[in-house]
Amino acid sequence: MGLRKENKVLKIILISISFIFLGIFLILPLIYIIVTALRDGISGYVNAVSDEYAIKAAILTIQATVWAVIINTIFGISAAWLITKYAFKGKKILSTFIDLPVTVSPIIAGLIYVLTFGRQSSIYPFLDSHGIQIIFAVPGIVLATIFVTFPFISRELIPVLTAQGTDEEEAAAIMGAGTFTIFKKVTFPHIKWALLYGIVLCTARAMGEFGAVSVLSGHLRGKTNTLPLYIELLYQGYDFTGAFAASSILVVLAIVVLILRLVIEKRGQKDLDLNK
Amino acid sequence: MGYVELHDINKHFKKFHASKDINISIEKGKLVALLGPSGSGKTTILRMIAGLEQPDSGEILIDGKVVNNTPGSERGIGFVFQNYALFRYMTVYDNIAFGLRVKKIPEEEIRDRVRELLELINCEGLEKRFPSQLSGGQRQRVAFARALAPNPQILLLDEPFAAIDAKVRLELRTWLREMITKLNITSIFVTHDQDEAIEVADEIIVTNLGKVEQSGTPQELYKNPATPFVAQFIGHSVEVRNYEKFKHFNKQGENSIAYLRPEFVSIFKKGESVQFANSAEEAIVEDTIFRGSNIEIRVRIHGNLISAIRSINEPEIRVGELVDVFIYRLYVVDGENVVLATNDSITDEDVVI
Amino acid sequence: MNRRRSIIPGFGISMGITITILSIVVLIPLCSLVVFSAKLSFSEFVYTVTRPRVLSGYFVSISTAFIASIVNVIMGLILAWILVRYDFKGKRFIDGIIELPFALPTAVAGISLTHLTTTNGWVGQIFYNLFGIQIAYTRIGITVALIFIGIPFVVRSVQPVLEKIDIQYEEAAFILGADAKTTFRKVIFPEILPAIISGFTLAFARSIGEYGSVVFIAGNTPYETEIAPLLIMSELQEYDYSAATSIALVMLGISVVILSVNAIVQARVSKRVNGLA
Repeated sequence: MGLRKENKVLKIILISISFIFLGIFLILPLIYIIVTALRDGISGYVNAVSDEYAIKAAILTIQATVWAVIINTIFGISAAWLITKYAFKGKKILSTFIDLPVTVSPIIAGLIYVLTFGRQSSIYPFLDSHGIQIIFAVPGIVLATIFVTFPFISRELIPVLTAQGTDEEEAAAIMGAGTFTIFKKVTFPHIKWALLYGIVLCTARAMGEFGAVSVLSGHLRGKTNTLPLYIELLYQGYDFTGAFAASSILVVLAIVVLILRLVIEKRGQKDLDLNK
Repeated sequence: MGYVELHDINKHFKKFHASKDINISIEKGKLVALLGPSGSGKTTILRMIAGLEQPDSGEILIDGKVVNNTPGSERGIGFVFQNYALFRYMTVYDNIAFGLRVKKIPEEEIRDRVRELLELINCEGLEKRFPSQLSGGQRQRVAFARALAPNPQILLLDEPFAAIDAKVRLELRTWLREMITKLNITSIFVTHDQDEAIEVADEIIVTNLGKVEQSGTPQELYKNPATPFVAQFIGHSVEVRNYEKFKHFNKQGENSIAYLRPEFVSIFKKGESVQFANSAEEAIVEDTIFRGSNIEIRVRIHGNLISAIRSINEPEIRVGELVDVFIYRLYVVDGENVVLATNDSITDEDVVI
Repeated sequence: MNRRRSIIPGFGISMGITITILSIVVLIPLCSLVVFSAKLSFSEFVYTVTRPRVLSGYFVSISTAFIASIVNVIMGLILAWILVRYDFKGKRFIDGIIELPFALPTAVAGISLTHLTTTNGWVGQIFYNLFGIQIAYTRIGITVALIFIGIPFVVRSVQPVLEKIDIQYEEAAFILGADAKTTFRKVIFPEILPAIISGFTLAFARSIGEYGSVVFIAGNTPYETEIAPLLIMSELQEYDYSAATSIALVMLGISVVILSVNAIVQARVSKRVNGLA
């Protein structure tokens, strides 16, 4: 290393501290979940995760997640494109509003939907007369999930598109290409990995959202309970094996997400290096 | 009537006045340089012609038609971007074919056209490569081919040589000039490098602070700078405030300043035969700089550090040596006027630029 | 249209989609919050948010979030440092696992941390038997949960900045005779300080509003371990929307202050580094 002599002792101390810290705070909880889930043996585990209500909760979770990913992908692409390709007034305010949802407490997120669509809202009579129920029902859960993951995709795309600039799009436009052609042929190849990465993050957060969904759910078993809410229900009923068994599903998904993240990051980096 | 004309064009970016009352006329088939320091508004002019920017006021005419409301894609323009803006996720072939595919030209015709262009730019065999696998010079030529593919009437190039290293740049200049002459396509390129503009262009438009200072052939700009800016910008000028102290030059106006170029000065060793011996100034050499093909010699006269070029074939001059300096002429800038002042001891017949 | 914005087509459609979705998801609900707040009487608002139980809720949320974020600054700095500067076995594993708090549902983390830290849990019994310290169902427990969710913020904001610092700066400082400590304090630390502050801010803001991971471990004893978001939740369950909104408005105010302070600090720093902002 020539000039810079590394302090070996410091290095070992810092690395040890890091391993101990992460071991206690991150790894131990994961091990605990798996061990507790399997406490009553494999059959107990299988029973817990194949419970009718557990499956219904999982289906609702998937449903809300899919909606959140679809809406946020459409939104994320058009917002990122808008912000990075054009100059217009109010761009800063727009970015602030897009980022706002992640800085708001999930409980407050739930609250604002209750205020918007709940009984005391001025549009409630209209919704009620048309038989539309949003809060304490599935649409509310979907909305809350979209809200808490709102900027996840645009936030991944904006830096990539900013770095890429507008030259290629201008070059394509000057040759007469239309919006769709430019996006598909010129822009999309640049953002595909960032988009996938954003979708993965969005999926992870959407599956696990608890606070906002908790406010908007009617807590009806089998109707408006998502997996995290179902876990809470079991936990409060002192069915710890059931709670941790259901949790283990989400743990596995979280680990899959982390691995996907690393893979996508690596692929994206490779593409970037190739096109330097 | 020019082929490309700009009438009273103004353009603001927020509060920045990027183009001020721009009037330009460019003849068909000419190769024109927009020359100016950075921030002088030259790229803005180019981008407005291309339809990449909209002027706040004024008219842009191409072939006699006002094109302000015609999209850039329908103006018959080919554009070479500063960093080429090649589509990084497309092969060379797909890059060149892009403009043709957008026009829904049959794939067979596209194939012939791309092949023809690849031959023109000497890049046969590279069609399957991606831009990242090309050298700087190849990228520039591919960008050139891509812009030419749809047969544009006008070719616009934004700093076409800026991103290339010095040696290849010289080759490409010559190549581009030949190519454009061969194709006889009206071309406008932006540059901040006066050597580049002088060498490549038929005509130069000098811009400064959002305004057009002067336009004309390189020789005209060189001989007759119309504004103080052009006088000091063109050539490697040295500013001289007390030029009246030089032998045989008279003060023209109270606050006038002179600009002196190396080619207006000759330096002689003592004892070398000097045509205007009595009119020469004596000076001590402060510095000599070997430039490869010639030597730059710097002397101080009346407080001004003045440069002159000397051939390497002439006897060597050393630092500290006493020499004779003869100044043929200089540009005197008095307010907005620029006058070429000639040493009184030479008669008009002797003037050779 | 006389003046087109840009040669790149698609401005209208992307603006349309963006504004439509933004309105439904964010703007209209926020407006209804504003409208509903305007209907609150001021005296009632003041009464609600100054009840001792509510004040204590704010205090618990802010103090535990603050301590947790400080811990995360220190650990985040160490983690970012070892990830950027050292090579060791398991580096990629650490790099990957750091994001776990983003990927793992907060409720799952909450119940697991709770069980680990009760007086007969794996970790909790050690602390209880050796030091007589209880973790779960105390403010320490809340802090533990908030440390968990805040881990990635500081690491992920410092890491890229540290990666970009040119080794040459340090070499220059070294050649000029600075020792490692001085080099860190004078050369590296000022460079990463803005990133530390913004990582801290994000972790702090997130921690104050955190609900899922905290409710299980907190025990929710009024005046002791009851956090502000839980107070909102309780009011909502009693359908007292006015009280819930009042408490929420104060929390939003706190978030705005924290984020603005960060924005001002960042603007100052970028001015100092880049000349004009």
